[in-house]
Amino acid sequence: MTTSTDNSKLLHDLRSKCSSLKSAAELYKDCSAAEKKEMLALMNAAAAEISKLLVQLEKAA
Amino acid sequence: MHSLLSGGVMEKLNILVLEDDKLAQKVMAAHLAAHSVDMAGDLKAALKKIEASKYDIGFFDLMLGPDDDYSGLKAITAAAAKGIYCVVVSSSDSDEMIDRAYALGANDFYAKGNEKANIEDILRKFLQNRKAAASGDIFASAFITEDAETRAAAAEALKYAPTELPILILGPSGTGKTSLAKILHEHSGRDGAFVSINCSAYTEDLLEAELFGFRKGAFTGAAEARKGRLLEAHKGTLFLDEIGTMSLNMQMKLLKSIEERTFYPLGSEKPEHSEFRIISATLEDPQALIAQGKMRFDLFQRIHGYNITLKPLARRRADIFPLVQHFTKGRRRLSFSPEAKAFMEAYSWPGNVRELKKFTDLVSSGREGRVDLETARKHLKETSCAQTAAAADGGLYAYALANGLEAALDKVSAELITRSLRENGGIRTKTLADLKISTRLLYATLKKQGIDIEGGNK
Repeated sequence: MTTSTDNSKLLHDLRSKCSSLKSAAELYKDCSAAEKKEMLALMNAAAAEISKLLVQLEKAA
Repeated sequence: MHSLLSGGVMEKLNILVLEDDKLAQKVMAAHLAAHSVDMAGDLKAALKKIEASKYDIGFFDLMLGPDDDYSGLKAITAAAAKGIYCVVVSSSDSDEMIDRAYALGANDFYAKGNEKANIEDILRKFLQNRKAAASGDIFASAFITEDAETRAAAAEALKYAPTELPILILGPSGTGKTSLAKILHEHSGRDGAFVSINCSAYTEDLLEAELFGFRKGAFTGAAEARKGRLLEAHKGTLFLDEIGTMSLNMQMKLLKSIEERTFYPLGSEKPEHSEFRIISATLEDPQALIAQGKMRFDLFQRIHGYNITLKPLARRRADIFPLVQHFTKGRRRLSFSPEAKAFMEAYSWPGNVRELKKFTDLVSSGREGRVDLETARKHLKETSCAQTAAAADGGLYAYALANGLEAALDKVSAELITRSLRENGGIRTKTLADLKISTRLLYATLKKQGIDIEGGNK
């Protein structure tokens, strides 16, 4: 069973990852080609994390 | 990656970032590219770095990993103990967490998600506050005062210099409002210019043209287009002196341009955009102006973020001789006889620092560097401090008995006229209208008092 504390941690992580993704998206246009590649990899990883967190949140609901 | 802070010349800072998320680390590194940055991914690494190195600023995430119990807070304690400026950048921004972080020594707390604007703001504030702290000697070089109350007020105002907050400077004419506004601009870190305008020196139409600018042919005499002061102050400071004299109509137009950051030059249909910060000044009581219907409450709300009141020189007599020294720096130095000193200290200085500057210039260009009582009296127009004090103290009757009724009436007229001129920034037409007197009486009184009739504003 998922407790409300777990939920708040899930939500915190979700907010944190979404914020990083938003800030990275704002930076993206200023990156060089090589940096864009690196940034995209990190953004994809963050998006995957967000997806996992959403699944956990759905289960906890 | 481009440094997002590379627009201006910025001092290179040593910065520690405690952040477990790789993407957030990348974002922080990009925004701090102009500085020397150490990245720590967990508490242990952060504590090690804090112990081993010297940092100016630390950016701290609080929750380091999914099962972490806000261990970032421990890093704040360690960093604050070493004098590092601690900034929390976290998604854990509940009231309880904010309170805990500040209690442990954090200086700033920002929620994650707006790093571009926030980091620029933090660094600008940090550098400006450091500059302000290092220039504690502004009171010995730019804004001369030995008065503890004035120093405290100016030092407090300096803390707000690097913010967007509007500042309202109150105080009688000649107390250094413009100098203080310039200093606040210099400590603001703003890239744009300091643009000053004395609102009392213009009629409504001229003030509108000065502030907003105009297109060629906008009105008779507009042979060329001209940029307004609002546009000149883009990314800088717009200093509105004597804002209390502005008409209600102009106040409304100014308010709109402050709120929207856009305005239309006269005769133009194309809006101009300007990001100016407002510092304003008035010698009148703004609350009284609002009560009299002379100032719009909504404009007042927009201009009075932080208020500072400068005392008249007569209430900070300790500043008289340090100011004289400042005015004569690099020039002929003056020496004052004890009697001259006493006279100057007792004098009421109705024109404040401006009058003292004029006096210093006059005696500096005199024949002798030693200033005696006679010279001081000659240049300061009050007949004697005792007589003035008596008159001001309800002793007008005694003055009339001693000097005759006509002299006493002349004295009252002169005091009222000089006060009105002072409050109207020297504009005689305003004094004529306010006091409902004839030009002949104004000029006769000024002449009797030995006040320069040709100089000053018309």
